Amino acid sequence: MDMSYLHHFGSAAATIFVVATATMRTMIPLRVFGIMANVLLIAISIPTHNYPTMALHAVLLPLNIYRLRQMLQLVQDVKKSVNSDLSMEWLKPFMTKRPCKAGEVLFYKDEKAEDMFYIVSGRYRLVESGIELPVGAIVGELGMLSPLNERTQTLECIEPGMVLSVSYSQVEELYVQNPEFGFFFLRLASARLFENIDKLEARLMKQDAPALPMAPQHA
Amino acid sequence: MAGFINVIRSTLAELANRSEPAAPVLPVGLPAAVRPVAEDGVALLINYQSAVYAQLYSDRLRRFVGRRNVSDELFSEIARLLTMRMSYHDPIRIAQLKLQEPVMPGRPPVVDRRRFRLDELVSALPEIVGDPLMWALERIYCAHRTVPIRFSKASIWGIKRLEFESWLRRWRLLSTRYETERVWVERWLHMIDRALTKQPDAAMAIVQTATMIEGYGTGYRQGMAAWHQIIDGLAKPAFDGTLVITDLADAITRARAVPRDPKGDQLRKAIGELRAHAVLN
Repeated sequence: MDMSYLHHFGSAAATIFVVATATMRTMIPLRVFGIMANVLLIAISIPTHNYPTMALHAVLLPLNIYRLRQMLQLVQDVKKSVNSDLSMEWLKPFMTKRPCKAGEVLFYKDEKAEDMFYIVSGRYRLVESGIELPVGAIVGELGMLSPLNERTQTLECIEPGMVLSVSYSQVEELYVQNPEFGFFFLRLASARLFENIDKLEARLMKQDAPALPMAPQHA
Repeated sequence: MAGFINVIRSTLAELANRSEPAAPVLPVGLPAAVRPVAEDGVALLINYQSAVYAQLYSDRLRRFVGRRNVSDELFSEIARLLTMRMSYHDPIRIAQLKLQEPVMPGRPPVVDRRRFRLDELVSALPEIVGDPLMWALERIYCAHRTVPIRFSKASIWGIKRLEFESWLRRWRLLSTRYETERVWVERWLHMIDRALTKQPDAAMAIVQTATMIEGYGTGYRQGMAAWHQIIDGLAKPAFDGTLVITDLADAITRARAVPRDPKGDQLRKAIGELRAHAVLN
């Protein structure tokens, strides 16, 4: 077979895939088209002995596969979280480590909220309410969706430890890149909000409970 | 990578002129007596940075609208000092001010020669550039070395240089210096908030501690260190309830009266004495 035909045909097909990749608006289709373009270009570059192209796409292919897998895993984890314990552990791979010293303040009340935190180790206290947050707690996940975007309390580190942080803009990027993730993220945030309301209602009922026997009986 | 992307985003937003929203809105319910000070603050901060930055100022003021124990006098002082701290002096600001200086006909423009420490200059750059530069300066023991800088409108070259330095304000909010200032402002506002809740009589003294930090260079660094010493040694323990100081305002005034030394030893000693007279919980 004439190699020049293969070369021209392959280049035309690869061009279509490269253009299609660039037109994708969201991350998963973009990666899928990226992978298809990589495979096609590797397949064509072998018989035509175009080794630089082959090397480039041999590097890009695993990268695209890794990122696609990461995105699909993210959607799966968020879905799972919505249907089970409402945990936000799935965010961990996207977070960066931040060591905290005793006395360090992670954020102040009324400050513009820009990050959410996952407590890995150490002790942390909400200054205004005096509540201590346990290891494994997520802080500031609702601030991203609140209209004013402001912190409602101050978080202080009282024993050195480590937190993981992710900026709201990073989560927003994930949201925009992946609409399915965005949908489940909204469901998860709403579910956590409703859970907070339920907890508050339960606490209020507990507070009111001793007063109930004193309440006048209705006929 | 995030820092690099932030720089690109900020620059593109600036080029596309997307970062400038409508004029900043002062908080609803702002007392009439505070309004002129706040309006001056907004105008200055638009000139200093941008309308978005001035809106941040306005949002910070909103925290005190309708708060108990906040008199018009106290609120005006918060607004005035907040403007001052949010328009901190860095080489970019000095270039901006120099450019805005009127030139008197028949008189040559005044040339300002100021000395900056290298780490001070580097801290005005975006983190992505500043951090590696700072690392390199520290490795060669040059971070504390001072360099003279001329701010002059005497020649075209001088004006162009001032314009370039002034243009760097677009990246100011990505700098390490801005991050330090942001954290400081938030801590100061937090301490005012806690004073209003725990010891309202000391609120004015806490507000006025902002005057301890001025300018740049040695005075700025010593002022900043002294402020943290006073807050960590007196105000915070008093608000946390670990230290009972009957007259916190007086204790702060006395600590502020201590002459500053490079290592802060005198202030440390004075705070120790003040704490010895207080009751430890």
